[in-house]
Amino acid sequence: MNRIRIKITGQSGSGLLSVGEIISSAIGALKYYVVTDREYPSLIKGGQSCYIINVSDKPIFSLSDGEDILVKIEKESEILKNGVKIFGGDATKMALECGGSAIMQNMVLTGMVWKILGFGLDALEKELKAKFGNVAKEMILKNLECLKKGYESVETEDGFWNLKVSGGGTRENILMDGSRAVALGAVACGVRAYFGYPMSPASNVLTYLAEMSGKTDMVVKQAEDEITAVQMSLGAMYMGARAFTATSGGGYDLMTETVSLAGIMENPLVVLIGQRPGPGTGLPTWTAQGDLNLAMHSSHGEFPRAVIGLGDAEDSFRLMAEAFNFAEKFQTPVIVLSEKNILEGKISVSRKVFEEKLKIERGLREGVIDGEMRRGERYKITESGVSPRWIPGEGNEYYFANGDEHCENGDDTEDSEKVREMYEKRMRKFSAMKEEIPAPEIFGVKKDADISFVGWGGTKNVMRDIIDLYAEKGVKVNFLHYSFVWPIEEKAVKDFFADNKNVNLIEGNYLGQFGNLLETGCGVKFKNRLLKFDGRPFFVEDLTKFIDKNLKNRANGK
Amino acid sequence: MENKFLKNFGIKNVPTWCPGCGNFMIQSALKNALVSEGFSPKNTVMVFDVGCNGNGADKIEGNTVHGLHGRAISLAAGAAIANSGMKVIASSGDGATFSEGPGHLIHAIRNNYPMIFILHNNENYGLTTGQASALTKKGAKMNASPDGVYLEPINAMRFVLSLHPSFAARTFSGDIAHMTAIFKEALKHDGFAFVEVLQSCPTYNRATPESWYKERVKYLKEDHDASDILAAGRLADDLEKEIYLGIFYKDSSRESFLKMIPNRKNVKTVLKDEVKGYNAVEYL
Repeated sequence: MNRIRIKITGQSGSGLLSVGEIISSAIGALKYYVVTDREYPSLIKGGQSCYIINVSDKPIFSLSDGEDILVKIEKESEILKNGVKIFGGDATKMALECGGSAIMQNMVLTGMVWKILGFGLDALEKELKAKFGNVAKEMILKNLECLKKGYESVETEDGFWNLKVSGGGTRENILMDGSRAVALGAVACGVRAYFGYPMSPASNVLTYLAEMSGKTDMVVKQAEDEITAVQMSLGAMYMGARAFTATSGGGYDLMTETVSLAGIMENPLVVLIGQRPGPGTGLPTWTAQGDLNLAMHSSHGEFPRAVIGLGDAEDSFRLMAEAFNFAEKFQTPVIVLSEKNILEGKISVSRKVFEEKLKIERGLREGVIDGEMRRGERYKITESGVSPRWIPGEGNEYYFANGDEHCENGDDTEDSEKVREMYEKRMRKFSAMKEEIPAPEIFGVKKDADISFVGWGGTKNVMRDIIDLYAEKGVKVNFLHYSFVWPIEEKAVKDFFADNKNVNLIEGNYLGQFGNLLETGCGVKFKNRLLKFDGRPFFVEDLTKFIDKNLKNRANGK
Repeated sequence: MENKFLKNFGIKNVPTWCPGCGNFMIQSALKNALVSEGFSPKNTVMVFDVGCNGNGADKIEGNTVHGLHGRAISLAAGAAIANSGMKVIASSGDGATFSEGPGHLIHAIRNNYPMIFILHNNENYGLTTGQASALTKKGAKMNASPDGVYLEPINAMRFVLSLHPSFAARTFSGDIAHMTAIFKEALKHDGFAFVEVLQSCPTYNRATPESWYKERVKYLKEDHDASDILAAGRLADDLEKEIYLGIFYKDSSRESFLKMIPNRKNVKTVLKDEVKGYNAVEYL
């Protein structure tokens, strides 16, 4: 089975979100692999919105452009031959006939889609009961009736696709969005405070952590602005807790002075940027990879930092722990980049991923120093540049956490020799960090691919689908994916270029920021660049078009 | 007592403030209060802003943070939340508090974070050589205000009282005994303790020098009802003739931040001791 693409469109606030959620989780429960995304304008009500679901019986990670089933909530019903299109006009009528309200047309439509897919009604009924668990029984019954009415209104024995009851995936798959995975990763690696200020597409991290806080006992605080959120995170980290904040590019702009402070204080700090297209307010509800340069170069002065790009829900869970480990071990800021469609889109992930016990490395000095109270050498000059750090109040040493240039014992200094020594000590941490950066991962064949790509973050989703798609055609595609985008692990990309002759860049911004970094920093040169900056993620078709043209040109000797 | 000072919050580095700067007196009073209330560097963190008072960050032996301009309150609040076993004291000047970051003050009062905030009100930007702040007297000729300040100043205490603080006091850098007494009360308070110090700045504040204050400061009478916010407001109003010092308002019935949050009410540990691996599956 190839993928089936379902698109549900309608006015924002018309309930299409619940149709999409119910259908996607019900299909997921039948062990199919599901990828979803939401396209919507920056409005509460009105404006066209869209919920996209791609389904397959094999693992898929990205979306295909276009649709096989289109649900248009405000239109009349119609069936076209190149695909099935359901329109929603009579759905309202049917809902009212069942004694339901007009909004219950969503249930009618859900039933219709379900029949077209060829599934039995019981699985969907089960999903609905689970979703509306705490709604009055009478209400659930009415919804179920509407569901049945829609299901029965479609006249086909097995549905157009005649899908098997089970999709063949593993039983433990769950549908997970990046925001929830980030929240779970944070909880799992011992984050005890979250300070946030709402901004799309990072707001759901705040929502999820707040909803979980009754069970986690985490302090989840909606702060008065982004500066406060990042300052409180820094203060909590200074005091020995794990804390962080998430925002989007504009909010991060406000935080950058604090990032610089963390750099000189040598205090761990973790900030997540949920990328959306800028500049300015840009496209608030769409996706991008345009803030890599921001993450790398933001803040005044020079100090070491790491930048991590999250690729999918699994990364979002695991790499949060890595972000904290690096921030604490190297006592410096770590900027985590995610993307709107990773944060809000859902993907089938094995439940086992979340059972993993994440490694926690705090880099704190071992043991407690007793004796008379005295000042400790918090900024001791060391070979690696990493000085001893301990939690204030633990043991009998106190220290000056100094945002002004300072000596080993934290005292202010303007002495040229001492300034130089401390500056160099701090910057040495960059080399130390680089030695511990994990190598990027190669997807597909290791060498001699017909066409190769290099990228970071969410581009790995479409690349995984493409590698499989072309493997079926006998075309070798491979992909070098960076999670740690700064500092750069250089050997892997140099080897990748040596081993593959047709290496291209894939990146979700105009400048090809990561590509430029690799070209200037590692001496490599991309054959071509596939760049996208219209707010949409890379679809399968973006890649097939690029690859087919590229291979054709090569065959023609161009 | 002297020996105790050396061990606790002593001075190793020579202060860089101007002779006669109110900061000398404020620092002495704070040390007096901390030591007599039984605090030591082991259970204290002092968060400093940028400015003249911030230059004291490496002049007092204890856990200190020298942070950003206008942001000391928020960093300190984060620290206080992470370990409620530590006493956290933030201090900022009038420029930082009422121009660069007034939002932090507003919300810290509202959240009642368990910390002390000392407003060093010397009515100007000292370290940048004497520009006017939002608290400078109208008409005062300042650096970059050659014709005199043409705006009315903000009354810090009136502003704070409008936010229903849990603790609001005013004191004066020319009176160590009073400052010490106020700081001691602030240290005992569980919640956001706002303390305004009218601070002399012998170099740049010519409008209200130490002698000007000395002629005008009055102490709130013993029968002042610190639970009467309207009376507090009336007494705080005058910054020209009779300038009152003391605890204007106190509301101990307000719970401090961590006690307000429902999910932390019954938790006995502090956040910094809760950092460990958790099983995410439990929260799926």
